[in-house]
Amino acid sequence: MKEQLILEKAIEKGDFNSGGEVSSKLKELLRKLGVRSEVIRKAAIVTYELEMNVIIHSEGGGIRVTIAPEGIILYVEDTGPGIPDLKKAFQPGYSTASDEVREMGFGAGMGLNNVKRYSDNLDIKTGPGEATRIRAVINLS
Amino acid sequence: MIVMSKQHSVLLKEDKCEGCTNCVKNCPTKAIRVHQGKATIKEELCIDCAECIRTCAYHAKYTETDSLQDIKKYSYPVALVPPSFYGQFKRGIKPVEVVAGLYQIGFKEVHDVALAAEAISYKTMEFLERNDGFYISSSCPVVVRLIEKLYPELLDYLIPFKSPVELTAQRVREEFIKARKADKKKKQADADELGIFFITPCPAKLTTVTNPLGMEESFLDGAIAVDRVYQEILTKIKDIKEDEDKLKGYNPPYLGIGWGQSGGEAEILKKGRIKDILSVSGIHNVKALLEEISRDNISGIKYFELVACDQGCVGGVLNVNNPFQAKYNIQRLIQEQNRLVEQDFSLYDYNLTTRFEADEVGRLDDNLEKAMEKLNQLKKEIEILPGLDCAACGAPDCETLAEDIVNGMAKRTDCIFVLRKQVGDLADRMSQLAHALPPVMKDTVKKNNANESGRAESSRNKQEDNKEDMKGK
Repeated sequence: MKEQLILEKAIEKGDFNSGGEVSSKLKELLRKLGVRSEVIRKAAIVTYELEMNVIIHSEGGGIRVTIAPEGIILYVEDTGPGIPDLKKAFQPGYSTASDEVREMGFGAGMGLNNVKRYSDNLDIKTGPGEATRIRAVINLS
Repeated sequence: MIVMSKQHSVLLKEDKCEGCTNCVKNCPTKAIRVHQGKATIKEELCIDCAECIRTCAYHAKYTETDSLQDIKKYSYPVALVPPSFYGQFKRGIKPVEVVAGLYQIGFKEVHDVALAAEAISYKTMEFLERNDGFYISSSCPVVVRLIEKLYPELLDYLIPFKSPVELTAQRVREEFIKARKADKKKKQADADELGIFFITPCPAKLTTVTNPLGMEESFLDGAIAVDRVYQEILTKIKDIKEDEDKLKGYNPPYLGIGWGQSGGEAEILKKGRIKDILSVSGIHNVKALLEEISRDNISGIKYFELVACDQGCVGGVLNVNNPFQAKYNIQRLIQEQNRLVEQDFSLYDYNLTTRFEADEVGRLDDNLEKAMEKLNQLKKEIEILPGLDCAACGAPDCETLAEDIVNGMAKRTDCIFVLRKQVGDLADRMSQLAHALPPVMKDTVKKNNANESGRAESSRNKQEDNKEDMKGK
C-alpha cells in the first residue's frame, strides 16, 4: 500500500474554537479504517497537541495526515515564528505561551513532551524566525 | 422473566412511530435509522441509554421489563432496591416504609443495593490509593458499553469491579444456598425457587440481566421497572406494622443511597483520601468528556464518576418522579446519617470474572487497503450530499448517510436534495428532447421562442457538468 491521504486541514492562529477538531475527525476516520484503538489514541493525542501548538504558538499553518505501511504520518507546517530552542521546548513544564493563553488552561508546557512520548518517530525542522515543519509517525503495530 | 432473543431492551411500537427523526438525531451512537417510515435500531451500535425513549414525542419507543406477575413464578422472590428508588417518594415516606411496601406486595426478602454501593466505595477507595493514574466508575452499564464500543482505548481505566446490583445479587444467592444447606430439616425453598428481581430505573440494567458486563452470567433472574411497582407500594405503605419482625434493626444505608444521583459516589470517596473526583451525568456530556479524556486533555482528576442519565440514576426513564425532585429527596436523605453502615466488606466477591471487552464498531472493512478504498469513496459521497444534516433520509446526518451508501445500506437518492436535483436535470433533458426536431420539420418554435430553447441549451451544459456526480447511479 502506498502512502495515502486521510485528512488535511488548515489551522488558523488563535482559533481555539476549532482546537481538537482535527484530532476528533482523525479518530473517527481511523476507527472506520479498523486501526487498533491504542494506535488511534496515540495518533489522537499527538494530533491534538500539534494542532494546539499551531493555534497557540504560530502564525497559522496546516496539518496533513496520511497512512502508509510505516504507520500513520502527521505532517504539520506553520508559517513561523519557529522554535528558538528545541531542547528547552521538550522539557516538561517549559512554555512560551502568553498569560492569556495559560488562563484558558493551555500552554502548560506538556505539549511537545506528549508529542514525543506518543510518537514512534519524530522529526522537527525549525529555528528562530523560521517556519516549523514537523513529521510525526505512529506505527500501526 | 422475559426471554429476550435480543441483545437490547429498547423496543418499538410500530403503530405509534410516525417516522419523525427525533430519536435518530439524538442517538449518541448513531444507531437509529428510519426506513419505510419506521425507526429501526442497529443492534450492534445500541448501548441501551434510552435517549430514544426520552425523545420520542409519540411514545413509540419503550422497554418491556418483568412485572409483579413474574415474581409469582418463584416460591422465594427477592427484591433488590436501587439507591435512586427512595428519591421517588415524598419526604414523609421513609426508606423503611418503602421496604415494608415491597414485602407487602409479595417479596420474601428485600435488599438494599446501596449497601453494596457503600462496600464498592470503600473498595474503590483502596484501589485508587494503590494504583497510579486515573480511573472511571464502571457502575453505569451504559457508560461501560459506550466505552466498549466507541472508546475501547479507555477500557483499562474502568474500575474492575462488579456493579453494586450484581454484588448484592451474588451475595443473596450464596447466602440463600448456604442457609438451605444448613437448615435442610426445615425444608427451606429450593435454590431453583429463588428469584432475584432488581427494581430497575432504566432499560440498561434490564439488559445486563441477559447480557451482563464483565461476567458470564448475571446473578439476577429479572428486572421490574420502577413504574410497575410504584403505585402498588404506595397503596400498601400504611401496613408497615405487619412486617415489624422483618424490619427489626433495619438501618438504611443513607450514604449508599446517595449513589442514586450524580455526585453520590464522589461524596463517599471524598470522606477518604480521594479528593480529585469529577462527576458528570447525561450521555451527551459523558461522551464529550470521554472524547477529551481519550486525547489526554483532562488533567488533575483521579476518579471519574460518569452516569448516562441526566442527574444520575434518578434520571432513568423508568422512574416516576421528576429527576431534580428525586435528586433533592435523596440529598435530604443523605443528611440523615453521615457515615457508612457497619458491615463486613470482605463478604463480597468484587472481582469480575471476564474482562470488559472492546466491541469496536463502524469499520468500513477488515482489510486496511479495502477500508482505505471505501474511505475515499466515502469522501466523494460526502461531497455530493448537501451537508445540511436534515435527517430526512432517515440517517442522523449527511456523513452517516454517505457511510450507509458506501456500505450498500442506502442509496444516493434517499437524500431529497440529490433526488430533487436529479429530477430537475431529467426535466431539463426532457424539455430539451421535446424541442429537438427531425430535420424534415420546419423549426417554427425556435423563431418564436428563442429564450426557451436557449434555457434548454444551458441546462444541457449544466447536465454535462453533473454527469460526473451522478456516475454510479
